[in-house]
Amino acid sequence: MRHFLVMTLFAVFASVVFGAVAKDTPQERWLYGLKVFAEFMVIGLVLSWILYFIP
Amino acid sequence: MSKPEKAVLETREPTPARAWLVGMMAWFVPGAGHVMEKKWGRAAMMGGAVWLCFIVGLGMGGHLFDLTTGQGSSPLLQVPPMIANLGSGILYLFEWLRGVGFADDPAQAAKATYEYGNTFLLIAGLLNYLNMLDAFDIAAGRKP
Repeated sequence: MRHFLVMTLFAVFASVVFGAVAKDTPQERWLYGLKVFAEFMVIGLVLSWILYFIP
Repeated sequence: MSKPEKAVLETREPTPARAWLVGMMAWFVPGAGHVMEKKWGRAAMMGGAVWLCFIVGLGMGGHLFDLTTGQGSSPLLQVPPMIANLGSGILYLFEWLRGVGFADDPAQAAKATYEYGNTFLLIAGLLNYLNMLDAFDIAAGRKP
């Protein structure tokens, strides 16, 4: 759980800044931030399951 | 470079001096650049993310890089992570003056969260470089 929490924190920090820096309107920024957050989480989980099966 | 591109470059207004000051402040104190531009929400979110990222990284026992190395490797190898760490501005300088986070301590490196801490500290600096560029662009009138 701790690893997951750390990964989530990392995704939050990075997606907040990425979302705020990119795009032009507040709505687009929120959507982009959420998209980046989701990408971090999904890719992180997929990679961790792939690595789990690699000895 | 084509003629229209050249014409655009020649007609572009020069960057105001204040934008450089805002950029410097944004680097030195994370969030301060946006405060100077009265972008309170952005300052809180972006500056807060950098501050929290740095504090969490340090709390997890992360290592801050400078040019000294105790492992016999070249100081040049320390430069890229040091540049990333330097992005945190005053946070890095404050810890450098206090001497916290720079020691090559085996007990610290043995912590389960050591590598996480390193990553958080590096990312805090890199995110602040993005903040700095954003604040600079706002001050230069290139961004709303």
